[in-house]
Amino acid sequence: MKAQETVFPNVRIPYGTWGNSYFPAWQTSPLAEVNIGQFAGEAMGRILGKRKVPRQQLEYLVVGSTVPYHWKFWTAPMVAYCMGRRLPGCHVEQACATGLQAICVAAGQVQSGTCNVAGVLTYDRTSDSSVGIFPERRAPQRTVAIGDVWDNFGFDPSTGGSMLASAGLASRKYKLDRKEVDEVTAYRYEQYYEAKKTGFLERTAFPLEVLNMQGKPMGRIDDDLGVRRVSLDSLRAMRELDTCVTGGTQTHPSDGLATLLVSTPAKAKELSPKPEIDIQLVAKVEIRTSPGLMPEAPALAVQKLLERTGLAMDDMKVVKNHNPFAANDVIFSKVMGYDWHKMDRTGCSLVWGHPHAATLARTTIEGLEEAVSLGGGYVLIFGCAAGDVGIAAVFKVS
Amino acid sequence: MTDSMRPSTIESLGLGTVLDIFKRGAMPASAAELVDRVFGPANKRGALVITGANGIVGAGKTMQLGRLLEPYGVPVVALDFPGVPAGLVKQYPGLVRGLGKDRAAAIMANVVQLSYDGAHLPRHLSPFNPRFVLEAIPEILEIKRAHYQVFRAEYPEVEIRSVTSGFPSRELGVGIAHPAFPHEINKVWEIVEPKPSPITALYWSLGMIPVMVSDHWSFVLDVLFTGVTLAALRYNAASNMPYWKVDKYVRRLVGPNPLRAHDAIGAKGANFLTWSCLEHLSKRYGPLFQPTASLVEKKDSGQDWYPPNHFRPMVNWPLEGQEVDEFNTWILGPLFQMTSLMLHEERAPLPQMNAIGELCAQFRDGIITVIRRHGSDAVIRTVEAYHRLYPAAAKSPWYPEAFAKMDAPEWQQLYVNAEHDGTVGVITISRESYSHDVDAELNRAIDWLKARKIDRVIVTGDFHLSSQLVGADITDFFPAIEDHAKGIELSRNWSKTARRLNDEFAVSVGFINGKRCLGGMLELMVHCHYVIAVESADLGMPEVTLPVVPGMEGCHWMFRKATPEYWPRILDLLLDGRPAKAKDAVGWIVDYAGPVADAVQACWGAATGNTRLPKRAVADKGLTGVPRDVPGLRPADGGVEAGRKAILDTIQKACEATLAEAITIQARHSGEFMATPHCRNGVVGSAFAKTMAV
Repeated sequence: MKAQETVFPNVRIPYGTWGNSYFPAWQTSPLAEVNIGQFAGEAMGRILGKRKVPRQQLEYLVVGSTVPYHWKFWTAPMVAYCMGRRLPGCHVEQACATGLQAICVAAGQVQSGTCNVAGVLTYDRTSDSSVGIFPERRAPQRTVAIGDVWDNFGFDPSTGGSMLASAGLASRKYKLDRKEVDEVTAYRYEQYYEAKKTGFLERTAFPLEVLNMQGKPMGRIDDDLGVRRVSLDSLRAMRELDTCVTGGTQTHPSDGLATLLVSTPAKAKELSPKPEIDIQLVAKVEIRTSPGLMPEAPALAVQKLLERTGLAMDDMKVVKNHNPFAANDVIFSKVMGYDWHKMDRTGCSLVWGHPHAATLARTTIEGLEEAVSLGGGYVLIFGCAAGDVGIAAVFKVS
Repeated sequence: MTDSMRPSTIESLGLGTVLDIFKRGAMPASAAELVDRVFGPANKRGALVITGANGIVGAGKTMQLGRLLEPYGVPVVALDFPGVPAGLVKQYPGLVRGLGKDRAAAIMANVVQLSYDGAHLPRHLSPFNPRFVLEAIPEILEIKRAHYQVFRAEYPEVEIRSVTSGFPSRELGVGIAHPAFPHEINKVWEIVEPKPSPITALYWSLGMIPVMVSDHWSFVLDVLFTGVTLAALRYNAASNMPYWKVDKYVRRLVGPNPLRAHDAIGAKGANFLTWSCLEHLSKRYGPLFQPTASLVEKKDSGQDWYPPNHFRPMVNWPLEGQEVDEFNTWILGPLFQMTSLMLHEERAPLPQMNAIGELCAQFRDGIITVIRRHGSDAVIRTVEAYHRLYPAAAKSPWYPEAFAKMDAPEWQQLYVNAEHDGTVGVITISRESYSHDVDAELNRAIDWLKARKIDRVIVTGDFHLSSQLVGADITDFFPAIEDHAKGIELSRNWSKTARRLNDEFAVSVGFINGKRCLGGMLELMVHCHYVIAVESADLGMPEVTLPVVPGMEGCHWMFRKATPEYWPRILDLLLDGRPAKAKDAVGWIVDYAGPVADAVQACWGAATGNTRLPKRAVADKGLTGVPRDVPGLRPADGGVEAGRKAILDTIQKACEATLAEAITIQARHSGEFMATPHCRNGVVGSAFAKTMAV
């Protein structure tokens, strides 16, 4: 392993102060009913409470979300109020890159001395997608209404294509074999259920009980609802929607949140239940690939990241990604020469779904937790985002 | 010579013992005489002046005292700055609701509103001849002192009392009469005076509850109330649990929901008062009382503690596993430590300190009762555990030795006292509702009298803390909702206690003095050989409205003591739930009813045997012919109807049985009904769900 200079030398992620909700598939849980900004604020307070972190420790809050919700205008201050603490903060939005980007923004706040402890809270509710009504002079009606989730999935204004079409286009470019894409998918489900069986998920996910307007329990979010075991045979039997893309080899929209803290080294030791564990953000890169080829962007981002850091794939103890299409993983494997069996050992967003902003934050949390359980090492986190963007970051756990 | 388990609480007011009242055959003080002493004779009647009369306290007390003093022709001058929000105006609708338009108009016609600039008294005040100033201005020491100077310069003889919740009398230079919220109706006043004054006696004679407390920073109520608030806020800070949820758990644990109370009183004022008390206390007693940053923030902003309606909570915060124990430590630890401080400083006798929490701070059981229930060792362990959670509190005074004498009568007889003169004993109940604690204390009081060979006894309220007897404490029914065996046990035990009044004394007299005697308390009283009541008292069995089945033999005992012509009235009392006036209940509930003085004398006569009242014997054998229905009962909802059926069934079964068998039958019916959906969906079940099912 090569020794690396981190770009954020004064920044740490306190181990064991993080957590996420389970990610119920869209429309399957009471999360479909909530103001997700308020819910996330309250849930962060509870998760930190369970982690024995008094919220008074926080000095700043970076929130990340992509789907508009009521009072989103007020961003982090509103969400922090719901957590029970009046904090300054900002909002970060970069489609499915939001989770990782928010961590980097928080790291920048700490590194620059703005604060000693910044909270990162990412969340989205894709259920009952909010609908924006926009003035549009070029439309005959002069006004258009856009369903934030589905209408955006279906139309990239830069290319005119859909996300699903980008998966098909990239699969054709890399001449993917449908059979291998199905095998990756089946394997990812096996990995998820194995992690679940070992209790790994319970180390990072917190059950949350949702209240209705009368203050009565409306339901408990204690599972990634909507996730069902799939067999290779059933995957193979599915109708192809585009090249190598079926209902089974792509993720699904879901609702959820993920939160962690970013702090100075001293504060990390103070806040963590295991102060001897040191977690650093080493580096992060982003790239934008050719139009309509989003699934190859993560691999290109990782290439650039390794180039910048001098690290190699063999240096990575944990490799984990946001893979809305199974094709992403096969392309990554082809580009990087990396066995896809070695990735996503504790689950991934292909299986547990896709609440945009929270996705890469949960991926990161699970990756760091896995690295700790393995005795430390480098953790590679990456994924794609709307606009043919790839994002990748490497963390060092020691 | 009188002997007693512990001093009567009214002795602390300089009003003698309860036994003295009966022996004298008269109350120790009369309102009319005391009004003359405080405000001058009718032809030269002076005024009560309330300053800061438009504030929450001032406006409430203007209404309360205005209502009580208007019949005596005492004018009330409401003094405040011009331009302050009109607090008195807000009180008027409540006055109309409570007393009717005519009475409200008469009371308001006796209130004169004047303005002043804070430095000079209005010249129009003089004709009213101020005799008593009740100061209710903001909690700023220098302003208060200057305020008194202004009055004394012009009216050197005027009596001044401050409603302050924090400053000692020695700092202010005037006596204290600190009232409890809600000010327009709460009768309790914490009094700081060198010795009880005529004003304090007047309060008592007007039906209020003055309680003497020591001259320390903040008084018992505020130490308890701000203390439990602070405990809740400390837990919030440590755990992140939101205020609303902490509040619910505090309510489940001890009774009050302090943060909701702040919002209900008015967060802006209440937050300031709480902060002010704690700030003063922390300066004297250290970090145990140090206000949290959240309290400082809310004090400055005046914001409510509960989230606004548009942010109704979405994430529940159930306590899990060991978290419950930790929560209990965070709340009880500081309360126990603060109480040790109050005990060390002897801030009030234990029964009074206990009652203040129950009557004014929503404590389900007073803090002394809670401590007694835990026991000395557990209390000390709790405080020590709290110090581990919050080490700063260990730097504040802590007196574990204050809990060393828990076996003494002062600790053991918080609600029930006994006195005797060698011949007649008086058992006084200082709690409005009957509970397992009252039951245990009552048994000890009976034992104490019997050990002293006293076989004549009067059972009554304490003429002080319990101004009425309202029945059983329904929180004692909560365990029975989930386990009917607990209900049966409770009913049987309480009934056994009640029977001791019938079985173990040569003469027992129940004396009903307050506004009302209902439910379990009435069941207790009717077990006495004689029941004597003030004629205006309401006597009732409202169990059916809850619905529950009376548990202390209410379904057969009164029938056994009454002749058959009264049975339909008893049945109506039980099945309708409406009370009867004592004067209309002679012969079937009570044996004598009359004006207070006559009733007191009749009671003493019956107890000593000097007055022969016809004794209504309790029938041992089963009764026949007890009616099975009451014509013309008011229509009722399903729960009440089910209650009526169950009560009727119990009446039939218990009355048909012998007296010896009836206790078991009554207990079984009462206990089993508490576990039915009718009870669970009624008042008891709703209270249980609201309080306990957090």
